[in-house]
Amino acid sequence: MNAQAAAPEAEPVVRAEDVRKSFGENVVLDGIDLSVSMGETLVVIGPSGSGKSTLLRCINLLEPIDSGRIWLEGEEITAKGVKVAQIRQRIGIVFQQFNLFPHLKAIDNVTLAARRVRHMSRREADARALELLSRVGLQEKAKQHPHQLSGGQQQRVAIARALMMEPRVVLFDEVTSALDPELVGEVLVVLRDLAETGMTMVVVTHEMQFAREVGDRLLFMDDGRIVEEGIPSDVLDRPKQERTKRFLRRSLQMAHSLEELSITDQGEVE
Amino acid sequence: MHVLASFEWSVIWDSQGALWGGFKHTMKAGVVGIVLAYLVGLVLGALRAHRIPILNQLAASYVELIRNTPILVQIFFLYYGLPVLGIHLDVFTVAWLSITIWGGAFMTENFRAGFEAVPQRLSEAGYALGFTRLQEFLYVTLPIGGRIALPSTINSAISVIKNTSLLLLIGYPELTYVANNIQSNTFRTFEMFTALAVYYLAIVWTLSALIRFLERRLALPEAF
Ligand SMILES: Nc1ncnc2c1ncn2[C@@H]1O[C@H](COP(=O)(O)OP(=O)(O)OP(=O)(O)O)[C@@H](O)[C@H]1O
Ligand SMILES: [Mg+2]
Repeated sequence: MNAQAAAPEAEPVVRAEDVRKSFGENVVLDGIDLSVSMGETLVVIGPSGSGKSTLLRCINLLEPIDSGRIWLEGEEITAKGVKVAQIRQRIGIVFQQFNLFPHLKAIDNVTLAARRVRHMSRREADARALELLSRVGLQEKAKQHPHQLSGGQQQRVAIARALMMEPRVVLFDEVTSALDPELVGEVLVVLRDLAETGMTMVVVTHEMQFAREVGDRLLFMDDGRIVEEGIPSDVLDRPKQERTKRFLRRSLQMAHSLEELSITDQGEVE
Repeated sequence: MHVLASFEWSVIWDSQGALWGGFKHTMKAGVVGIVLAYLVGLVLGALRAHRIPILNQLAASYVELIRNTPILVQIFFLYYGLPVLGIHLDVFTVAWLSITIWGGAFMTENFRAGFEAVPQRLSEAGYALGFTRLQEFLYVTLPIGGRIALPSTINSAISVIKNTSLLLLIGYPELTYVANNIQSNTFRTFEMFTALAVYYLAIVWTLSALIRFLERRLALPEAF
């Protein structure tokens, strides 16, 4: 789907092999294998508690894994003695709760790490940040503090902040789930545009329409395992596994019942 | 009423020079003590909040010890106790050191609480951008937790200033010492202690105004 996606035999940007992770007795990742190619948008769906956030956090080394291995551009990042902070600069992550620094203006949220970690000059960092902020449609909000922005705007600043470090891959963890419904679209548009520029992305989401339109590949996770994967429309329209079918049926039911609840009656409910 | 009628302004007027000298001594010990107490509090508060092994326990014991013994006992310990061990400190050193030690314990707890109140998800946002632990502390936990701690640290600073009056008991010539001397020579007790109260109120109100100013300038939004 993505023109910039590299040939499959090229080195994957992220590769994971048999990754396992437990919290006490609770097995959260139960042998995950995955690979994300350059320029690919990989969408991850699955029920609550299936381990999606934990998977992203493990890839970003925010959570240590119990066993298995993870590579970034061919370099094993779960090996002993790697420089964790340096690895994380190359992996962007955007959280459900935005997590902007409340004491800093939007533009300073974007430039902080570039200036402090990369030692970029303020002038250069500001110029680059303004570029990124205008890319997410927020150039005129650069001087605002996070609490002066809507949720959708905060999330777009958070995306700009992640892009500022020029990551090789960006992980998105349900970035629209904390937003009012009318603000979801503006963030999804930014994600779509980013995917079209050839950014390598792993997107955990409940937005099935987004998964279908923007995803190059889709994983369905349940109980810490990858149950099914494939082209998004294939998996969504013709799931092979019973668990995938059940999950999709439940999310569809949910969507329908919500539609029935909505005040604008569009008539036909599929 | 006859007290007010006989209020002798000239006593205060004549003592202005001496009181001003006392004020300067109060501020000298107070400012040195407060600045160092902030430093002690920042460092030990960070060690406590990050649970750095051993140092955390040492800092906790220090805080316990200081908060649970009277400050006067601490001052006397430094001034009369240490010479027994062969350590002789001059009166000014004991003055700033004792209030640094006392204030530092309270500042440690203020900063620890502030740093611990920084949501974990904000620290993680810092780590995710590639910050080391030190960078995360300097650019995320310190500015946010420091703002959270600010009002309580200024209240501690005010306590430090007020407690400098105890230094009269080791003969440090600060405000209370000076006023007490003058009143015992002139017997104008009421006038002297009125003047003294005005001095302390001026200092404390200035610090309180500073709190409000800083709070307005640096305040974080209610929810973040
Ligand atoms: N820090 C932690 N300590 C203990 N248990 C945890 C921790 N983080 C996650 N878990 C547990 O791991 C399991 C998977 O959580 P995770 O957040 O990865 O799921 P998820 O698929 O992202 O769910 P959701 O769709 O609700 O976000 C859950 O049972 C959760 O309670
Ligand atoms: Mg999650």
